Amino acid sequence: MEILEKKRRVYVLGGGISKFAAERTDGNMRDWINESVLEGLEDSGTKIADIEHSTTSYFSDHFDKQLKAGAIFHDNIGMCPKPNVRVEGGGGTGGLAIRNAYAYIMSGLCDSMIVFGSENMGRQVPSDVAQQFIALASDTDWEVQVAGFYIAYYAIMMVTHMERYGTTEEQFATISVKNHRNAMYNPKAHYPMEISVDDVMNSKMITYPYKLLDNCLLSDGAACLVFSTEDWAKKHSASWGKKPTIELTGTGCGTDFMRMADRPFPYPGITHFRGKRTGAEMAYKMAGVKNPREDFDCFEVHDAYSGVELVSYEDLGFCKEGEGGKLAEKGVFDLGGDLPTNTSGGLIGFGHPVGATGVGQGVEVLRQLRQEAHPKRQVELNSKRGGMDSHGGTGTFCAINVFERRD
Amino acid sequence: MGLELVSNLMEVFTAEDPMAFQHPDGDPWADFREIMRIEWKMDFTYKHVLGKYSKFFIELTNKKFVTTECPGCGKVWAIPRPLCADCLTITKWKELPGTGTLESYSISNFVPSFMKVDIPYVLAMVKLDGADTLFTHQLRNYGDSTDTIKTGMPVKVAYATEPVGHPMLLMHFEPA
Repeated sequence: MEILEKKRRVYVLGGGISKFAAERTDGNMRDWINESVLEGLEDSGTKIADIEHSTTSYFSDHFDKQLKAGAIFHDNIGMCPKPNVRVEGGGGTGGLAIRNAYAYIMSGLCDSMIVFGSENMGRQVPSDVAQQFIALASDTDWEVQVAGFYIAYYAIMMVTHMERYGTTEEQFATISVKNHRNAMYNPKAHYPMEISVDDVMNSKMITYPYKLLDNCLLSDGAACLVFSTEDWAKKHSASWGKKPTIELTGTGCGTDFMRMADRPFPYPGITHFRGKRTGAEMAYKMAGVKNPREDFDCFEVHDAYSGVELVSYEDLGFCKEGEGGKLAEKGVFDLGGDLPTNTSGGLIGFGHPVGATGVGQGVEVLRQLRQEAHPKRQVELNSKRGGMDSHGGTGTFCAINVFERRD
Repeated sequence: MGLELVSNLMEVFTAEDPMAFQHPDGDPWADFREIMRIEWKMDFTYKHVLGKYSKFFIELTNKKFVTTECPGCGKVWAIPRPLCADCLTITKWKELPGTGTLESYSISNFVPSFMKVDIPYVLAMVKLDGADTLFTHQLRNYGDSTDTIKTGMPVKVAYATEPVGHPMLLMHFEPA
């Protein structure tokens, strides 16, 4: 990978979120996208007529029984006849969409791009059908028949982590407590809640070691981000120079075998997210990050399950392998700690409308770096850098992006 | 009202907006909260081709566990692949004894009902003798309590004796 000479740079001009909630009967994906786009345009001080390109972020064609939904979103917001592209990487779709904005703008294919993501997470079908749709994201010939539910795999990963490093259930329960608590100060969040480690430990056991409150929920909602070059922003963004300037300085992507059974030992084995390490190394190199725990002020981590966030600390380089549990327990990743993670509430507290999730992580990092977050979840800015990590499958597709404030 | 003209109508209702949209004109969606919900039935059956690893499933009906070995690098993928993903050499079929050890497992107290299995459900990742990667399947017949299940315990492939709904279910794991 060549680090491009920064003759061009990519800036994050603004973002919008349409409320993440369990079941939104007030409309459908198009309506939520529209809402997030209106907010994103307002926030970025831009007009849709000026924006040159769009990227659609959604994961499932099944949940909304609509192929080419991206074309509909794109025409709903008045982007025709300008170009659109859809990206898809399961739970990592939104992170990949942001990476796509970087690629398109840096290559000169366009100077500005609007990225919008949404998901209608299956309240339109019975829960059993929704489970089958999600199961289709694992290998349908080899896995669905024997384990058509992701938690069984994530539980295996966590059991091996506990056996190998002595990680405890209470340690990852603290992450669920933190994320639900952070969501209390995010009005767009699906699942804000003040709970204790005991509440998590006493919630219904689903698959050992994961209890009900260790899991994220399926959400409805949408998110949007607007990106451009500096020259474009000067010409077309009314808020350029008035709001803090945020640059997208690094992007990385990594993958692993779809089936955990095929992954090599000892690393990642069936414990770690190799794709996350690969993607993070790329993104950090681009952004000049040497010591992630010090070089970031905040980080949105893909906490599909509380333990996934714990293991991600290690694979994202916030600490050594096996240290995630102890550091979580010490509050290193809480608001006020060394590196606050999931200040938005994460997938557990903010919610997980898949195609919107990664884009929403980007909106949170933008808000933090501009110091626009609710005072109770606003981090202190030192490095003025924030990161986000989103993944699909069991870490099968990982996208890591780095945002930086330039004053 | 004429709604009876819609044969698949479920309901017309006033939706609750989970969060009012911030707009200079106040509540811009006030006139957009009447929502119609319809029932939409879709039913599919696929004619699904299992690909060049079909022999694995065919041999399960003969109570044999076959997989693929790479003649290039020697790697034996427990879940067969026609093309070695490490060195891109076309593989050869190889029979394994069907014995191995339990690498890890999870015990589920809830599973999606489409799976039609008993709970607790034990998903096992097994290091098969003669293979370099793991194989994933259900562990059954572990006795009265899941407490008997331990990482590292010997397990073996067992074959179905009753008709199954998918060729993958022609086998499962049991304690050896």
